[in-house]
This record gives sequence, structure tokens and C-alpha cells, in this order.
Amino acid sequence: VTLLLAVLGLLAGADDDAAALARVLARLREQVAKCVVAIEVDRESDPEGRGGAGAVAAHRDYLNRPLGPCSGVIYEADGIILTSRFNVSGTIRKGGLKVTLWDGRVLEAERRGTDESRDIALLTVDAKDLPTLPRADLAKLAQGSLVAIVGRAPDKASPTVNLGILSALGRMRDAAVQTDAEMNYGNTGGALVTLQGEFVGIGCNIKPLSHWGQSGGIGFACKTVEIDRLLDRLKKGEHLEAEKLPYLGIMPGEGDPDVEGVPVGRVVPGSPAEKSGLKEGDVITEFNGKKAGDFELLRSMILERRIGDEVVLKVLRKALDKTVELELKARLDGRPEE
Amino acid sequence: MSALLSLALVLQEADLAKVREFEAKVRAACDKAKPAYVFFGQGSGVCISADGWVLTNYHVAGDRDGQRVRLTGGRSFVADVVGWDPKGDISLCKLKDAKDLPYCELGDSDALRPGQSVIAVGNPFMLGNGNWEPTITLGIVSALHRYMDNPGYFDAIQTDAQINPGNSGGPLLTLDAKVVGINGRIDIKRFMNRVNTGIGYAIPSNQIRRYLEAFKRGGRVFEGFIDGIKFGECGDARYANVGEYGDGVFIETIKEETPAARAGFQLNDIVLQVENYRIYNSNRFHGALANWPQGEWVRVKVLRKGETKELRVFLGEPEGICRREMTAWPFVTGMTAGTDESFAKVEVLLIEREGPAREAEMKPGDVIAKVDGATTPTWADFAKAMSGRKAGDEVKLVVVRDKKEVELVLKLAPKPERPPRRP
Repeated sequence: VTLLLAVLGLLAGADDDAAALARVLARLREQVAKCVVAIEVDRESDPEGRGGAGAVAAHRDYLNRPLGPCSGVIYEADGIILTSRFNVSGTIRKGGLKVTLWDGRVLEAERRGTDESRDIALLTVDAKDLPTLPRADLAKLAQGSLVAIVGRAPDKASPTVNLGILSALGRMRDAAVQTDAEMNYGNTGGALVTLQGEFVGIGCNIKPLSHWGQSGGIGFACKTVEIDRLLDRLKKGEHLEAEKLPYLGIMPGEGDPDVEGVPVGRVVPGSPAEKSGLKEGDVITEFNGKKAGDFELLRSMILERRIGDEVVLKVLRKALDKTVELELKARLDGRPEE
Repeated sequence: MSALLSLALVLQEADLAKVREFEAKVRAACDKAKPAYVFFGQGSGVCISADGWVLTNYHVAGDRDGQRVRLTGGRSFVADVVGWDPKGDISLCKLKDAKDLPYCELGDSDALRPGQSVIAVGNPFMLGNGNWEPTITLGIVSALHRYMDNPGYFDAIQTDAQINPGNSGGPLLTLDAKVVGINGRIDIKRFMNRVNTGIGYAIPSNQIRRYLEAFKRGGRVFEGFIDGIKFGECGDARYANVGEYGDGVFIETIKEETPAARAGFQLNDIVLQVENYRIYNSNRFHGALANWPQGEWVRVKVLRKGETKELRVFLGEPEGICRREMTAWPFVTGMTAGTDESFAKVEVLLIEREGPAREAEMKPGDVIAKVDGATTPTWADFAKAMSGRKAGDEVKLVVVRDKKEVELVLKLAPKPERPPRRP
């Protein structure tokens, strides 16, 4: 037996890398597919058009959500399923949410809580002892780690596997990881896993960057740690709206590169910046006593504050051939809807 | 039974180990490439030396000075563009006050093979702004020597590593973390939908390396061409033709007293090779020549009456190169000097109707021998002797006219006002 093992081991060694990868993926597919479900949604035709309205929005919605099932992941054994919020948004007709399990069982599901900014939704089905995925240790992963997204194919019975790497680990204010594994409507909502089938996150539809949702190699998966944090609220059926971010209301302008600070190009009407008296051509040098540096730094400092906070800006302004230093106060507001 | 099970396990482990080996290579490449990445406005760049030379696209950096850039992690620098090539879409910048920076070396893009794994580092859709973590994508080299005009990706690497708006100027690297290209372009198929479809292009590192010296000297760099020939494509039905399509290009006309004529081209020569690049059609000929900047010499292999011959050809037009250098001077001399490919003789070609040269009674055909007492036999000597001067300075020249030395005094005039370069 030992001899046989050695010979086969050698054979495996002589085998090429592509074949080894194929076998690893086949096994991964086998392991993960049990925990990935197909979701069918029968919804009223009330598209949540991303821009546009009426027929335009409906068309866009159709392009983004073509016919066929989409994917979800069994999160807890007693019938807790997580998917992308986009997969199950809109008004669902009565009894119109169906989940197909790996073994072919079709169960009626109920939509519970959703989270808009992380694009996740929690569904429940009446089932017990469902298989779940082991969790990946994010600390052991890095940019370049191989990952795969496992979703369900249109025939509902078989899984799809798309291979990629972790492109970045901290995206969407650290809620998501980024991957170049192709993610389109269908496998969105599926499980992003490591090569050994360990669960990294739920493939979600945050910030689709092409208007009909085709993958451009930039996909996001909401981290399991982030989902765990929200799980109780989602189970209770809470709908978490997109978090409003604090904003000041300026666009950066072109300034003298030797003067340190953020030159103000435009002041948004009605914004905290305008109310504070900030004007075009000003240079913001300090924000709450800290050097403003450049626009990106200023922006990150604004994002660290909360809506309603009062901040002090130190500003250089050209007036009558000389530069004066001003201190302005602004009360941060929430970013208005775009 | 247990033996079979353990056998299966061993095989599984072997497979996984093999894939892990590949993964480890990718991760190592990411680890090395990431610190050398530069966030450059709405695009990307890559640091190629410890003292802060940064490559990016011309359509990202242009020729502007004083641009604020960041390294991975957020360390901030001011970048000045030193040399640029708008047609080839490359700008070389220098980071101010930079030392001991992490960097990635330029690799050998001619050693790439289609199918080889590569990674792209970039900042698509500005996703990394704020936490300054770039995006890394994995793909393969899909094809080599792709040719596109406007802007000229004359010898591009095609890759399916996903690159998107914001990746421009970022590096394409092999798994040993050598920069083999600068990503800069994608093909898209639908209007208003600028996302990757699996087709991205990068400017090859070997082309960039050949331009590097010229970039570092500063100013605009022009891509090479052979002055003085018209060429046709072998097998093109419009010509009474030599060869078949795929053979290369053939020389259709030759202008006398040009670098092409002096190199020894003859009518109906079929160009087979430029240095080590095989030429199979006119695009490839153009693309291969653009791998060198003007002012360089290349070896061209031609087929002539069944025999192959090797010619040494100067790229570009020497007079044009001199004229460009002279227009970059901060003063006007009122004359145009020229030279040949050897740059060994500086000859006055044209005297303007008005200006310092006319006042000094300079004549076309004068050969400049001395500037302020220093002998200046070559163009480089002359350019060096003239550098550092300003309008209003007087320059004593000695020119050779009819085998006699004549002394002249050139009073340099100020340059006419031009609209300022955009900041």
C-alpha cells in the first residue's frame, strides 16, 4: 500500500498545476454548494430604479436583475439565510419568495431584516439542521489570497464557481473585502470562500459600477464579522437605511502648490460650508486644530466626525492684496440625497 | 478501505499544496508590489527607484509639476513630471525629497509569454482613497505586441487582469514583482459603460526602459521612426508587390540625403526584423520602431534579392531633433542649425529675416567651431556651451566659412511671448 501511495503521489506530482487547481475547485464546489441556496423572487413591477424613472428605471432594473434565480447562503442551521439585499428588494408578492436547497427541497422563505449600505438581507425558512460553512480567519488572509465565489446556476441544481484573488481587505469603511472573482447577478448573494471552503463573506451588490450590472472585476463581499455584528437586528426584521455621512459641502479647487492646505473650488449652496461663510478661493489650512493637509486628508477627517458636530476651520483668504487668516465654525450636516 | 481513504487524502493534500504554492507566489508578489504603488490623482503610478522616480500615464500626470501623490498607506509627496511622451502615454515623475522608498524594478517584457500570470495594482474607481489600500487583480498575459493608434499603444501587452478607470498608470507585474508594463487602456463594448470586459492594455517595460534616459534628461520625448522612406505592406493588392502578406513591409520610396538613404536602404527591400522584433506587417513595423525614442540607432534586417542584410538606421530626423532642442532654449538665436545622424558637425541651415543671427551677419552653410573660445565640434558640445545663457547675453562664435574661420558676436534675443503652459 505504501508503494502504491508513493507511486500515486509521484503521479500527482507530475500532474500539471491546472489539473491540481481543477481538483481543488471541484472539491470546494462539493463542500460549499450544500450551504448555498437558489432564491426565486416574484415581485411587483416597482423597480427601485437607480436613477431614472418609469420605463427607463424598469429597463435598467431588468438589465440588473434578469430572469432566473439568484444566490443566498445558509448562515445558521435553523433556517437563517443571508443574501444580497438587492436580490430580494422591492415588493414581493405573497408567497413569492422561494428558496431551493441543495437537496432539491423548495421552501417558502420570509424576508426579515435588510441593510442598505452593506447590501445584505436576512431570510428565514422553516427548516432545521441545515449545513453551514466553517469560517475563514481573516487575519490569515491577505491581498493575493485565492478565493472563489460559489453561487447557483440558473438550473438551480448545480453550483457555479468563480475563482479570483482578494484584491483588497478593507473596503466600504471596512465592512467588505474586494475580489476580482467575477460576480454578476446570479452568483451575487453567494458565498465568497477560501480554497478550503472557509466562509469569507456574502457577495453583495454594493456600488455596481456598470449600469447594467456586468462585472468589471470589482466585486465586494460583506465580511462575516460585520454580518455577525448586525445579525440580531436583522433577525428582528430591522431595515437599516444607508448611513448618512457627515459633509461640509466644498469641492477642491486648483491652488498654489506651495501653500499647504485645501483650496476651495466650489461651495455647495445650502451646505454647512456656505452657512459658515466659506468662499471660493479660500484655502482651508486647519480642521479642528489639525492640519488639513490635502483634500483627501480633510475628507477623512470630516468622515471621522458625526452629523451635527461643530467644527472649527482655519482659513486663508486673499483680501485687498493681503492674505488674512480666519476662523470659521460649521455645523456638519448629512450628505443630501444625490 | 482506510488505506484508500488515506490515499485520497494524500492526493487531496498534494493538490492543495500545489495550489497553495501558486497562491504563496501571488501573495508574495502583492506584498512586494503594494508598497511601491503610488496613488496619482484619479489614476495610478509606480515607484521604480529608491530616490523616487515614478512612472505613470501621460493621460494621468500630463506634464504638470507640483502634483500631490500618495504611497500605499498614505505617505504624501509632491511629484514633478520630468519627461513625457504624450503619444506613447507615459510620464516620468520625480518625487520631491524622496529617499529610501520601496520600489519595483523594471522587468523584461520581451520575456513574457501569453498565458503567464501577472498582477495589476491600481486604484479603480478611487476605491482606495481614504485608507490608501490599492486594488490588486490577477490575470494572465492574453497577447503581446498589440497595436493601437491614438493614443499610441504601439506595442502593448494585452491582459485579462481586471483593470478599470483609476488603474491607469499603475503597474502590471510578473509574479516575481518586476514591472513589465504600465496599464493604461481598456477596450469596452458599450457606450457609457467604462468597466473592464477582460481586455486591458499595458505599455511594455522594455519600451519604457529605452525611453528612460531621454525622460530623465527632461522634456517631451518623441517616438522613433525612419526618416526618408515610404513603405508598403507585403501582399497588399494595391502595389505591384514583393512578398506575401506576413512577410513584412517593403520599401516603396527612398528620399535622398535622409537617415534612411544613408543607412543603405534600397527599393523593394523587405524589412524582416527591427533589432530582435520580427516584422510581419506595417503596424508591427511602426510599433517596433516606436520602442525606441528618436535619436537612437537600431539594427534593421532586410531581405534583398534573396539575401538578408543588416543595416544600422538612425531613428528620427537629426535636424528636427536639433530644432526642437533649440526651441527649448530660453532665448532666440535667429538661426536654425542642423546636423546629421552623427551629430558631429553643427551647420547653420537657415537665417531668419530678423534676429540676432542676421544682425551678426551669419550665413547659411557656416559650420560652428567655437563658442566663447571653447571648441564645439559636436552638437552635444554646442548645446552644452549654449546652456545656462539668457536673453541679452553676448556669445562669441567662431564659424568656418569657405575653409576660413570667421568671428561673430551673437546677441541673444528674448523669446516672443507665448501663452503660458497650464499649471
